[in-house]
Amino acid sequence: MNGVFDTGIDEHDIGEVTLVARGIATAVAPETGLTDVQAELLEAIAAALTGHRVDYRTLDPLGPAELADVLAARDLDYRQRIVHHMVLGELVLRPIPVVVAHRVAKYAEALAIKDDFVRVARRYAQGAYGLAWMDLERSGFVEHVREADGDAADAARLPSIAPPDDDPALEARWQAFAQLPPDSLGYAVWDMYDSRGFAVPGAPGGAPPYLAQHDFVHVLADYGTNLRGEVEVFALIGRADPAPQGFAWLATLVGLFETGYITTSGFFDRDVRDPVIQAPGMHLRVADAIRRGKTIWQRHCEDLFDFPYHQHAARPVDEVRAMLGVPPKSATALEAGSAPLCSLDGMSETQRKVFTERRGGAG
Amino acid sequence: MNRNFTQTMSVRCSDPERFAKLVEILRQWDRDQASADIMGYMGLRILADRDDPGSYLIVADFGVVDPDVPAADEAARNNERPETQATAAAMRAVLDDDPVYRDYDWEYLTDG
Repeated sequence: MNGVFDTGIDEHDIGEVTLVARGIATAVAPETGLTDVQAELLEAIAAALTGHRVDYRTLDPLGPAELADVLAARDLDYRQRIVHHMVLGELVLRPIPVVVAHRVAKYAEALAIKDDFVRVARRYAQGAYGLAWMDLERSGFVEHVREADGDAADAARLPSIAPPDDDPALEARWQAFAQLPPDSLGYAVWDMYDSRGFAVPGAPGGAPPYLAQHDFVHVLADYGTNLRGEVEVFALIGRADPAPQGFAWLATLVGLFETGYITTSGFFDRDVRDPVIQAPGMHLRVADAIRRGKTIWQRHCEDLFDFPYHQHAARPVDEVRAMLGVPPKSATALEAGSAPLCSLDGMSETQRKVFTERRGGAG
Repeated sequence: MNRNFTQTMSVRCSDPERFAKLVEILRQWDRDQASADIMGYMGLRILADRDDPGSYLIVADFGVVDPDVPAADEAARNNERPETQATAAAMRAVLDDDPVYRDYDWEYLTDG
């Protein structure tokens, strides 16, 4: 431990932070000890959320019952988030040892948490990838779509995020954003689509309208559109979700872009050519995205997929940021390379090529 | 080293409509397992015999989820569950004959 940082969230007791870290580290450590990616990611998250830096590699063990005692005064939601940090610590492993997945389940049980993501990690450990995806999809996306559509019966039957039909009226609504002032949210998201060659929702090949909601977050949170930027966006969205099931987004992206446990999600396909979480600085960027998401949750408390961005499309980006309480990126994340939306560093190779052709600039 | 376990069911289902029902029964089984408490069941395949139309092999895999419980024991526990018994009964209703079961431990797996 070497000091308190400015998290912009709330005060944490270093004693409790250390005890919780001991519990998490004990739960997720393979027999050979924590891997570097586990230690760095968990340490970065603890620092971003509590302001205290704990060296995860040097902690004494702490068993499930002892951790339950430490967290006895904390509510269910808080304890569930702690369990999600354990699950994240598992999900970056490939393979996940059965003994680790089983041990995390014991910690969750001791904390009186029955959590779908603990089960998903156990299915990965077992090698039951098909069942794991069905479970993950059901635990996260279907619930979101069901709430968004307001039709539980239909949502239960449909693929969670199905390719949409062409919708000229919707396409026209998105294209109309081009006429808004340059500092507006609508123009910024239209420019993001246009400059990278993305088809807008409603157009052939366009994203489903529900999923396209996350593109407004790219603008508001100022994250790039390459895989690293997507992980940052969904880490933020997942943590901003008042419901713990929001963790499904980050869990899915880690499965798609880091460990390859997931082949396709219906909106992204697996791509593990260049692991994301292990990239230099990404543990700090993901941790900061989680911190920003938590801050938004504390200030606004609404699933960012449900926010009516279209109603506020004409407002300046900064005004919508203020409405949602979006905090700036931390200096740590910026130093770690968190790229702005308009930067070439935040684009994939293909996006960069299209951007250069269409905008001709350096981003 | 965790050793997985496979149970095969050799079945005959000569009517395409009843076969479609069989597939739906097993698809529903998978959906139910995906949201149920973790146990050893990993998934299944239905293989059609190219040389004997109407003959199928259902391959159900089981793995270790508790380091102290072998996969074969997980499968045995699964067989005792009421939902497993109900699914087996529903399957039998669409088959020509009773399934023939065989049990296997995994001895080797191609794994890069």
